[in-house]
Order: sequence, then C-alpha cells, then structure tokens
Amino acid sequence: MRGQDMTAPHDRPAADYRADADTLLVARPVAGGAPELFLALRADGGITAFNGHVDLGTGIRTALAQIVAEELSAPFERVTMVLGSTAATPNQGPTIASETIQVAAVPLRQAAATARAFLVDEAAQRLSCPPGALHLEDGVVRAAEGDNLFVTVGELIAGRAIRLALDPQAPLKPSAAYTLVGRAQPRSDISAKATGTFQYVHDVRVPGMVHGRVVRPPHAGFDLGPHVGASLISVDRASVADIAGLIDVVVIGDFVGVVATREENAVAAMRQLKVAWRTPPRIPDLNAPEAPLRDNPSTARVLADRGNVGRALDAAPGAMERTYVWPYQMHGSIGPSCAVAEWQDEGLTVWSGTQNPFPMRRDLSRLLDLPEERIVVERLEAAGCYGRNCADDVTADAALLSRAVGRPVRVQLTREQEHGWEPKGAAQVIDVRGALDAEGGPAAYDFETRYPSNLAPTLALVLTGKVPPVADVAQMGDRTAIPPYAISNLRVTVHDMPPIARASWFRGVSAMPNSFAHESFIDELASAAGVDPIEYRLRYLTDPRAIDLVRAVAERAKWQPHTGPFSHGQAGDILYGRGFAYAVYIHGTFPGTAAAWAAWVADVAVNKVTGEIALTRVICGQDTGQVVNPDGVRHQIHGNVIQSTSRVLKEEVRFSQTAVASLEWGAYPLITFPEVPDIDVLMIPRPDEPPLGAGESASVPSAAAIANAVFDATGIRFRELPLTPEKVRAALNPLTPPASAAQEEKKPARRGWAWPFAGVLCGALAAGAALLPWRAPIAPVSAMGGDVFSSAAIERGRLAAAAGACNVCHVGADGTAFAGGRPLETPFGTVYASNITPDRAAGIGSWSYRAFERAMRQGIRRDGRHLYPAHPYTSFAKADERDIQGLYAYLATQASSPVAAPETRLRFPFSLRPLMAGWNALFLSSAAAPADPARSAEWNRGAELVEGLGHCAACHSPRNALGAEKTGAAHLAGGFADGWHAPALSSASRAPVGWTETALYDYLRTGRSADHGAAAGPMAHVVESLGPLPDADIRAMATYLASLNTATPARDASAVIAASETAATRAAMAEPVGARLFEGACAACHGAGTRLPSLALNSNLHANQPTNVLAALRAGIAAPAGEPDETMAMPSFDASLDQRALGDLLRYLRARFAPERAPWQNLSDAIASARNAPGP
Amino acid sequence: MTASTILCVNGRHVTVEADSKTPLLYVLRNDLGLNGPKYGCGLGECGACAVLIGDRAARSCTVPIGAVKTRPITTLEGLGTERDPHPVQAAFIAHQAAQCGYCLNGMIIATVALLRANLHPAEAEIRQALRHHLCRCGTHIEILAAVRAAAAPADTGDRTRGDRTCGDRT
Repeated sequence: MRGQDMTAPHDRPAADYRADADTLLVARPVAGGAPELFLALRADGGITAFNGHVDLGTGIRTALAQIVAEELSAPFERVTMVLGSTAATPNQGPTIASETIQVAAVPLRQAAATARAFLVDEAAQRLSCPPGALHLEDGVVRAAEGDNLFVTVGELIAGRAIRLALDPQAPLKPSAAYTLVGRAQPRSDISAKATGTFQYVHDVRVPGMVHGRVVRPPHAGFDLGPHVGASLISVDRASVADIAGLIDVVVIGDFVGVVATREENAVAAMRQLKVAWRTPPRIPDLNAPEAPLRDNPSTARVLADRGNVGRALDAAPGAMERTYVWPYQMHGSIGPSCAVAEWQDEGLTVWSGTQNPFPMRRDLSRLLDLPEERIVVERLEAAGCYGRNCADDVTADAALLSRAVGRPVRVQLTREQEHGWEPKGAAQVIDVRGALDAEGGPAAYDFETRYPSNLAPTLALVLTGKVPPVADVAQMGDRTAIPPYAISNLRVTVHDMPPIARASWFRGVSAMPNSFAHESFIDELASAAGVDPIEYRLRYLTDPRAIDLVRAVAERAKWQPHTGPFSHGQAGDILYGRGFAYAVYIHGTFPGTAAAWAAWVADVAVNKVTGEIALTRVICGQDTGQVVNPDGVRHQIHGNVIQSTSRVLKEEVRFSQTAVASLEWGAYPLITFPEVPDIDVLMIPRPDEPPLGAGESASVPSAAAIANAVFDATGIRFRELPLTPEKVRAALNPLTPPASAAQEEKKPARRGWAWPFAGVLCGALAAGAALLPWRAPIAPVSAMGGDVFSSAAIERGRLAAAAGACNVCHVGADGTAFAGGRPLETPFGTVYASNITPDRAAGIGSWSYRAFERAMRQGIRRDGRHLYPAHPYTSFAKADERDIQGLYAYLATQASSPVAAPETRLRFPFSLRPLMAGWNALFLSSAAAPADPARSAEWNRGAELVEGLGHCAACHSPRNALGAEKTGAAHLAGGFADGWHAPALSSASRAPVGWTETALYDYLRTGRSADHGAAAGPMAHVVESLGPLPDADIRAMATYLASLNTATPARDASAVIAASETAATRAAMAEPVGARLFEGACAACHGAGTRLPSLALNSNLHANQPTNVLAALRAGIAAPAGEPDETMAMPSFDASLDQRALGDLLRYLRARFAPERAPWQNLSDAIASARNAPGP
Repeated sequence: MTASTILCVNGRHVTVEADSKTPLLYVLRNDLGLNGPKYGCGLGECGACAVLIGDRAARSCTVPIGAVKTRPITTLEGLGTERDPHPVQAAFIAHQAAQCGYCLNGMIIATVALLRANLHPAEAEIRQALRHHLCRCGTHIEILAAVRAAAAPADTGDRTRGDRTCGDRT
C-alpha cells in the first residue's frame, strides 16, 4: 500500500508487514535470504497481494486482484495489489512477453489457496467439524449459507501473527465455482485517471525537489562502439550562467545534465548549454535495413531441420524465393520517460516507471557503486510502453543528478530525447524458399530470419563508462520462427547478431515479423495451388485449438472461399480486398511457450491513384484459455489491432547518416482516429484451460492479414513494411516516374546582400566623408529633466514610443525596457541596440534634447560619432517635432538601467564610423513624410506614422549595396529584418489575397488577419508595441498602407483556399514524407477545420524564398498579442526537425499551399544557412 | 523575467511567480499541483497537455502564461471529481476508455470542447475532433464509444458544466 504522503509515495517494505501483529502472511522461502511475500491478510478483512511484475497500462493490476479475490472468495474491492517494488514485492524478473497472468500470477494464486486451506483447517478445529464440510466466503468460514455455525477470518487472525510458507500443492478453487474470474471487472484505476487524481511517475513531487534535464550526445539511438562514452569535447558552463535558479551542470564522461529550481529554467539551460561533441561515426543506411542486416556479422542457429529441404526444393519445379523486410519501429510512449531520485546519506530512493524494478536496482548499484540493499525502487505507472522505453535510462539520469546536487531531482526527457534514444523495435529480414508438391501442398519450406539484438544497456552506464559499449548478442529472433503447418521438409534458421541501432523487445518481438513471412508465404502457396487461403491453411494446421479458432473466425467473417485475387471487386478508383492470417505467439527461450492464439480477417480499400490503404474492418478471434477479465482482454485485442495496424501501414524510424532522425510525431506518424477500423472481437470460450497472456498475441497476424488483403485488392504482394501510399502507388503504377519536386535547379548566384563592390563604394563614401566635417559633440547635461515635462508631453512620447516600436530593438536582454543590448544582424555585422534609459553613464541621461533630436533625425550621437542606419533616423527625420520632444520626455521618465550595451564592432571598412557621414550625404533626406491635401486627414496621418515614427521602410524596403533603403518603386517593396523577410507593402506584394484596409487594421491591431494569418518574428513585437496607440491611428496606418498597393488582387480568400485543397492530393503524392510531417507536426493547428487561417493565405508560403517559413519553424511564433481567442504560440521545431525533414516539409508546404508558385530553388542551401544562423 | 501573473484556474484566481513565457503546462503542474494535463511533446502535436481556455481546448505546452490574461482555464480536475464526475468523465469511466490513460486528459478535454461547440456531433465530426490527439495503446474504440455516449441525446446531463469565470475579478 502507498503511504499517506502522496507527493513522495513509498511502498511499505515487506519487513514492516512481517512485523505486523494480527496478520496472516504467505511467503515463499528463499535460500539464504528473506522470504518473498505474496499475501497479507489483516484481521479487519483487508487483503494485500504482492507481485513482482508491474502494470504497463494494460490493467494487469485489476486482473491480478480478481485472481486473489476469487481464490479467497472475497469481494474484489477488498484486495489491494502492490506491484514491482524492490522494497515490498518478490523479484519476478522483468515484465515482458505477456507473462504476468500466465507465469507471474501462478504463485500469487497458490499463495491465496495456501491461506484459504489454512483458514478452513483452523475453522474446522474451532468448530469441531471436518474441513471438507466448510468453505470460505466473504471473510467467513462456515458449512452452508445461513448456517449460524461459523467463524470469521478476523477471529482466526486476531491476536496472532500467522506466517505460512507458500504451498505449491494447495488445492485451487475449481473454475466452475468462479464468480469473479471470467466476469468483466471495471478497472480500479480509470476513474482516478479520468479526473486527474491518479499518480503517475510524472506526478511525483518529493519535498525539496528540483528539476533536471539531460543533454545527450549527437549519436541519438546508437549506444555501441568506441565513440560511446568518449564523444564529449567540452562543456561551456558560462553559457548558462544567466539562467535563473540554475543549480548545477553535471558532467560525468559523456553524461551531461543540468539542474535548476524551476522546470522551465532547466529546459532553458538544456537548450542553451554549449556542448562540443566529436562528430559521430557514419552508420549504415538503416532506412533500407535489408543490406545492413545481411552485412551484420551473425551466427546461424538451426531451430528445425526435418526431411531434406535442399533435395525437395531442387526436385520441385518453380521454387519460390521471397524476402520480407521489417523496418525499425518505435515503442512511441505518449509520455516521454520521467523519474525522481532522492540521494541521501542512508541510500538512494528512485520513483521510476521501469518495467524491471529489480534489474533496475542492479543497474543503479553498478552505476553508483552503492550496494543494492541501500537502493529502493518505487515503481509507479508511466505512459504505456509495449516493450522497453527510456524509463530505466531516465531513472539512472535522475540518480546521477541527485547524487551531484544532494537534493531530490526530477528528470523529464524531452519528446526528441525519447524518440531519439528509446531502444527501438528491431528491424528484421526474413528469407523464405518454398515450393509446391504434385498435390499442391508445401513440398519444402526453408526459413531464415535475421534479428539484431535488443539488450540495450541502461544509457548512463555506457555514457559514464561504467559498462563498456560493446555488443551483447541475444537469441530473440526465434519467436514463432517455426511455422504452424505440417511440412515434411522444413528448415528454420535464425541468424543471431549484435544490435545495430539501440534496440529492445517490442510487442510481438520477432514473432510479428516472422509471422508476416509465414502467413504471407502460405497465402502465396495457396494462390499458387489454386486453393482458398483458409482452406489451404486448414489442410496443414495440426493444432486442434488453432483449427477451431481459424474455423470460428472464418465463419464469423462470412468468409467466401476464393482461389485468386480480386475477390471483392472495385468501385471507381477504389479496389477492395480481404485477407486472412493466423498465428500463435511463442515467447521465452526456444522452443518457448505459447501465449494466446489469434487470427485476423482484414478488409481493405486501396485507392489505386493515391496508393492509400484504408483498413476498414478487422475480425479478430483469440483463444486466451481461461479469461480472467473479459473486458480487459477485449481492450487488449482492440489495442493490439489498432497499434499493429499503425505499425504495418505507417511506421518506420528514419535515420540520418549518424543518428535517429525521427524526433517527433510528424516524422513518426501514428494511426489517428479517422483511420481506426471497425473491430469485431471473437473470444473463444475456454474456461477450463489455463489463462494465457493476451498482451501481444492479436498483433502477431496483423501484417500478413493486411498484406494478404492488399494482394486480394490489387493482385500485388507487398513484402516490405510499412505499406505507405508511395510504396503501393509505385507498385501499382510501375511505369509512372516518381513525382517529386525534389529536383532543384542549382542557381549559381545567391541573392541577398552581396558586397562585390564594397571596396569601390567604400572609396566613394570616404570621398564623401572627406568633404564633411567631423560632427561636434554636444555638451552633456546633468539630467534629462524627467520632472519638468508636462504629462501631456510624456503621454505623447509614450504613444510615439509605441508607434516607433522603440522597445522592440532597445529592450534589454533581461526584458528591462529600453536597456539596450539586443544584437541586430546586418550585412555589416552585428549592431547592438543602445541603452536609451536615463542612466547617465550607460544610457542617454546626459543627453540634452538637442543631442537627442540630432541622434533621432541625423544619426549622430551626443559625442559626435555616427550611428549606423540600423537606427532608422532616415525615417525619424520625417517625424513631427512634437513627437520627438514627447519621446525625449517619455524616455526621461523611464527607469534607469546601469547596464551598458555591448559596443558595436563591425567588419572593416564598416567599422569606420566616419564613413557614415558620406553615407548620410548620399541617403539622408530631410524631406517630411508625404502629405497630400487631396487625401483624407486619415490618410495623411497614416502617412506620417508609416513613413515617420513607424519607420516601416526600415525593414520593408529593400536596401542597396550600402545598406540604404531603396526609394521610388522599390520603396516598401520588401526587405529584411533580423533574419526574417519583411514582405512588400507595395504593389510588389506576393500575398495571394490583397491586403484591404480592414485586413491591415486587424493585423496591426490584433497581430492577425483572417485572410493572411499571424504576425511573426520582429513584426509580432511591433504589433505588441503598437498596442497603446488609439484605434484611429491604427486605422490611419491601414488606410495609408492599403493605398500603396494598387495592383488588383486576382482572387478572394475562398478561391485561394480552394486551390490549395485541390492541390492537396497532388502535393501529398509528390511529397509523401512532407505530407506526413505536416499532418503530424503542423495540422493540429494548421489543418482543415482548425481555427487558424489556411496557410494558403499566408504570404510567406508565396514568397520567393522560404526565409520566413524557416524562421518560424526555427524560432516559433508568439501568440498574437491582441487576438482575443488565441493563446497558443507556435513552438520552435529547431531541435526536432533536421535538415532533411525541413526540406521535405517545405517542399510539401509550397506544393500544397502555393500551388501556382514554382518550387523553391536551392532549398538545401537556404535550410543550411538558416540553421547556421545564430540560435533561435 | 520573473513576474507575478494572475490566472483564473478552475474558478479561482491564483498568482504565480514565473517568467511570462513559461508554458502554462509547467505552471499548472508544478506551481498549482494540477496533474491532469500531461507533458507529451512540448510541440502541440499530441494533445496530452490540453486544457480548456474559455470553451476551447488549447495545448498548454505551447501557451505562454503571459498570453492567457484573464481568460478562464479549466483543467481535468476542474471538470469534476471521482465522486462527482463531469458527464464526459463519467462516460469515459463507464466505457473504461483508458489503458495507460496518459492521453486521457486530452481526450476528455477535447470532447468537452467539442460538445460545447456541437451538442450532437456526427461520427465523422467526433473522429475529426480527436484526430490530433494521439493514443498509443490503441484505446480508440473505447474512447469513441465514450464520446458517442456523452454526445447521445439520451444523456442530457450538464455537459457544459465547468467553472468558466472567476467571479471576484473580471
């Protein structure tokens, strides 16, 4: 039982139970150790039962409690299960292979039977009647219902400490007498989970706990080889010195972690920490796993060799040789792994989601050089894991960090870390050679399977060098390797081999790929023999329960026998088909143990144009032996059908040349609700047979059933997974060249700010400068006189600062208004915005108004030195004098910041500030903002704001080779700001829908326009800054800006969106990977039916360069400041999409949302340069 | 920069001291001890962290606390309790619509948001509403059954229930 302290739950140690009075305990003696406790009955009727396995989200806690309650004839509610705690439960090894009910529950049931037999014997003595006449029911032992000769269990236990040894021979209750087992039992955890009170490991909060994050090496997903544990070059601790609440940066070998008081600060430190790693070695191309698996050194292990396969194959005409390829796949837990560790003098406690509490304790002991008895592993539920995820890894990480900082530490892995480092389900390659005999039966069957091993060590052990990063070979490729059919010439060989990518067992382990091969091949033999596929199987199946199951499923599905494909016809572009497969999942060391039998009938609809497969219905039959909880088994079958469908149709891990590249759900898509098939479950009643594991079996036939259905629909056999649309399409239309916009033309010239003539221009500037005097300093003043300005002037200044968005550039690094220091990337180099607070030394506190006004309008500092035109004085030159005065007054009243901004140091020759004098002579005009008496007052006010204080042209006008805004037709025709493209506001606009006055108003006021989308990057800050301006001013700016674009918009928004919808199918066919990235990573917010405007309306998708799309993906976008309904920001995908993924995504976005535009050119260059730019 | 932010969570005003860019998810979990919303991806992809902001479902991993302002936030805990569950929670419990249950928060929040906007959604609308909520255990069948039950005309329990304002401040 959990203790009262729900923040740091502890399972009560077994020793405490042993010390209890008024209890009956049943334990199994252990030679030389404490007995293993299985059951504790209290005098008050409470029952606590102990099992060394854990609940992985399958509801095993409920099924085990049902077994105990049944054997003791007690109400279900009275039983509390303690699972997988090193302090309390027996060590029953890792929770794998669906063994909990089949194996681990056996001693538990036996313990309950031991207790029952004892209680009945005791009662018999007290009541002086033969034990055979008595029975136990609901805590009472009596002869018959209503009999008043009885004794309660409480009376039998009270005052005693009964300690029984588990009797493996204690008689079990006959299944015919069962009232709980075999009945649907609502799970005990769901109401707490549905209301937020269930405690997952993620929810553990130990008093004094702080937050850790890890920084992993770049070889994500690969943990073997000499570079592992030897890749770290350096860690720059100073790079995170500014993180609030940072406690430590911990480095042990290649293990790097950060600890901070608040979680978001630990995240910030993780992202910001500069770590230099050695370049990881190249890996074989596991995107096409067949060759690397064949090349991987292996040892052949012959599992069966009957008859003479070689001779039979030579003798049979038309032998078939087939190869089946299974990709690397992910467990894909929805919650990345998390753990809490508390290191104290007396030892270590970890709260862990591990599947293997006892092996975990052994690993921690080795990692920390701490005896096992000083380590407690408290196991709490985590997100479902279906094999083994990073739960052990993160537990070890937390332990290392807690030891380093001496405080309890919670470590949460990121999505990218879990995707990258979780031990994958291994790829597999299977070769089958076979032939028909004269009667059409299988003459020979030669089966060879290759399975890279899966014993990934706990990561911290290899990163810290505690365990050498060398490969262990496991013999796990043999699951269901023997086909279930009577074949007289049979040879089965498994090639055991070391791992390539980091791997662990994954639901169905090797049985799922092996059965894909068996059941596809037998289907192919049936076709070749001209026999119905089910009839063919039944001829050669020998196991009577398998035969019963296959018949029952065929009947339930109303299977129509057929001897070739196309049995279900087609309608339009849709081809229909139906397929069958059967398998029994064999787990454990060869020859292994059978879990439940399962069979599938799958119905598919294949779109022959797009290649998409819809799995419309699955009839799944299962023989689970005795069923403990029918609802639980039904849910497991549903879960297996849905998850395995996802694996078969969609899932494969993508790899770069050095690491796992699928780091989020767009790159590793899972099945979604619209794709879920109807499922009809058929459970074969076997109440008198032993219960069998049900956690994996229904997955095993999936791949072959679906592939056989696709064969029925299309006449084509698919032997390589997943069955993606592009794979199906390529097979259906072998003559059509693959459509792809990927071919890019290489264009030699690079656009942007180029400086081929810089030397010449420099000379011109210098000449200009020579003609002009060095500007004189203006005498400092003692103070700006903050108290002498009228409140009206200060208010005018406040609005002027808002219109000028001064604080967008001049904001301090820590957010202090006007404190300066922000780096602005320009082609000259980095210009740092200055401190414009009234601090006398660091800011402008010693500037007179005349000095301020000169800086604003002429770009000359108080000391006479020139400012660079990153400060838009050419625009401010056009501003109203009263606004500049107000601005001075307003700044004078701001809080002083004593922090000086960094000195701007540009590259030669731009480092020569006097050159700016020449520049000003060329480009600084004193002309006022455009005014036109023929236009409305609103238009004129807008012109003043846009061209003056608002300095829109600073970003939105292109600049010439000297960095000056171009004028004339180029005015506001599009420029650059801080790595973002500032789109044209003139007739040069590339917006697919024209910018109306209303749209401009909405955009400037709220940060978003329905026909265009949201402001991003620097523009989002500008909109935020414009907040204080009255609506009338925003309206005026909109009026003026709308008048600049005189081009007639070709289409309205609905037409633009319709065009993108029309393009959707073509775009997905051309860029299938990009389409999936969009669906998984973007469509939750940007998909059809969501509230955000369609990306088809977004100018950035129509721009000549993907600059802003890349910038948005890299830096994210803040939630629109003034939008009433939107609070979500766009996150940065910098850590989750690599260069190739970005390319795939951008090509799709362009093809889908700007279908009339040509594909972006030189995409890989654009992505590379965006990724090499300073961090987001 | 650390600042005080006042949020309206499950009908109560709370003040948190954190950078305004802090994801709402961390504040709900770490500062307010609300464990309903779960960290799943931090990218707005999976839906495990969903909360209601007003009547709409939002992914709290991508909501900076500074953007929430006065909008009322409802978490799974704010909908109902084990003793007195919200009708949608009750439907999920009745249909045993969880395996590991990690995604359950998002599924329930999305369903409440769907039913607030559309009292009687069709099957396709239900599936579309949950399309970007990922479940790895394959509990989709039970979840769909729960949503259908919650949306059935026979069940007219107060599906719009849930605190949506903080009375003492506007």
